[in-house]
Amino acid sequence: MKKQSSFWLAIMASLILSACSTSVERLDAQQQIDLSGAWNDTDSQLVAREMIEDSLSRAWISKFVKSEGKDPAVIVGRVKNLSHEHINTNTFIANMERELINSGEVQFVASSANRQEIRDERADQDLNASEATRKEMGQEYGADFMMQGQINTIIDVDGSTQVRFYQVNLELISIKDNRKVWIGEKKIKKLVKNSKLRG
Amino acid sequence: MHKIMFVLLCLLSGCAAQHNNIKLANQLQQEPPEKILSILSETEPDQSDFAQYYLNLGYLQLLSGEFELSIDSLLKAKNEMLSLQATSISENVAAGTVNETFRRYSGYPTDRVMVHNMLALGYLFNNSIDDARVEMLQADVAMKKLAENDQLNGQLASTHLLSAIIYELLDERSNAFISYQLAEKILKERNISLPKGLKLGLLRMSDKMGNDTQYQYYSQQYPALSKQKQIKQKKHQVFGLYFDGVVSNKVQQSLAVPSFNGKQIVRVSMPTYASIQRRTQHNQINDDKQQINSEVVENVDKLVREDLDKEYPSILLLTTTRAISKYQLVKEAQDKDPILGLLANLATIFSEVADLRSWNMLPATIQFSYLETDADNIVVSTNHQGDSVVELAAPNQHVILSTGLSDKVFHYEQ
Repeated sequence: MKKQSSFWLAIMASLILSACSTSVERLDAQQQIDLSGAWNDTDSQLVAREMIEDSLSRAWISKFVKSEGKDPAVIVGRVKNLSHEHINTNTFIANMERELINSGEVQFVASSANRQEIRDERADQDLNASEATRKEMGQEYGADFMMQGQINTIIDVDGSTQVRFYQVNLELISIKDNRKVWIGEKKIKKLVKNSKLRG
Repeated sequence: MHKIMFVLLCLLSGCAAQHNNIKLANQLQQEPPEKILSILSETEPDQSDFAQYYLNLGYLQLLSGEFELSIDSLLKAKNEMLSLQATSISENVAAGTVNETFRRYSGYPTDRVMVHNMLALGYLFNNSIDDARVEMLQADVAMKKLAENDQLNGQLASTHLLSAIIYELLDERSNAFISYQLAEKILKERNISLPKGLKLGLLRMSDKMGNDTQYQYYSQQYPALSKQKQIKQKKHQVFGLYFDGVVSNKVQQSLAVPSFNGKQIVRVSMPTYASIQRRTQHNQINDDKQQINSEVVENVDKLVREDLDKEYPSILLLTTTRAISKYQLVKEAQDKDPILGLLANLATIFSEVADLRSWNMLPATIQFSYLETDADNIVVSTNHQGDSVVELAAPNQHVILSTGLSDKVFHYEQ
């Protein structure tokens, strides 16, 4: 009887210890995992890729190349988070920048924050670098278009079930004359069912 | 015997944490939030009190101007409360057999919405208005969810008012107007007189939106304010929020009676709020020409009492279940051995404690005032903390948060 109770005690202890231990598993960054139903890296990558593909397949790009004889230079501006979640729009912007650069179809200009840092460096070079290696002021490549947008959500809740609807709107605006040359929209709808019971 | 001792030790530690928390909340009425924060920071929360601990900690950090830490703490509490919305069978069994403090604190409806208010203020004073807006949207979802069963359950006028202010700062006129209207609706349902600043908000937003019908309606409702509004617009808009006092603590009500056969003592304990006559203090904002008194937009002290009242049926059910199961336990122990029965009876008496946990450091009332001024300085006065001069620099929209607990005045401007 005593032996039997010791056995069960050992089983219980090992179960409790296994529940307390931390486990780490490396995952493929492309793997789709949804835990809470909130906006995640998969949404960010998916939306950025699809929207940039859409924007680059439209007529504005060929028209620009034909009229100007060069690839358009694009800058990504602000993407406003108007959603119900604290979304880090910087990762979404970075995803879009990557898709734009890797497409090879557009020139890409650094963001205003990056530019300022580079200008500071040029100003420093002006004072400290040798004439042969010094980079001049006033040689920046001006962007032709700016991409701006916003992320919106509509949440419908009924008890422990939620429908989360995300709508990402992006637009490409000509810096020269404020014309909107492309408007893109991507929608994601998620049904999230939370358990009514927990451990 | 060992089991009984173990349960008693667990209970004593839980009970001590509960009383310590109540003591700190009482101390907050006399001592500055920074001091209470330093005492609370030195303690570690029990797993079951995690949300309550971080709610109080986050609020104290907000009042101490530690906005990033406050956001961090309140997010922890918010996520914990969200994760505890599902029912736990094991916790309910423990609550129905030992006492309710074995349940993890999942927050009352007021807590679940108020946490968004405090987070929004933290973000706002940390110069992240977009994140404050996110919190207001989440609060809206939380309130809609809570209103499913009861129209006023978890519905906070202060949340709608804060949403309206944030939308107005972001120049989202339609959203601001709707939020002012929702705040108005709740205040009317709660029979709280509408603050003048809220009436002005309704007039201002309906006018700015070009919604003539609504503007006419509110002009007829508030003719004096409508005329005041038509006077040339001033340089600065000041939205004043004032936190008055500290909300009430729960107290335990116990009853110990001999069982019908006289062989054991049966004790039941339930939480309640003592009735108190609270004197509401107001603050004033003045610019030499005008003096605006803050007006109550949320009676938090009343809300927490309502929350407990709504919980009473389930508390009563669990208390009765517990009394029966404890009676059976003692009876079985007495049948085996009278000494064991006596010890078991003592254990059941000591273990019978009411769940007194709540977000007990919240302000008793939240008040609002609105001022338009051309002055470059305004004075914020409270009875306890004296006068604080706030400089209104070049930007023209200002949110000012003051409290009767501290002389700190927080200022957001854009």
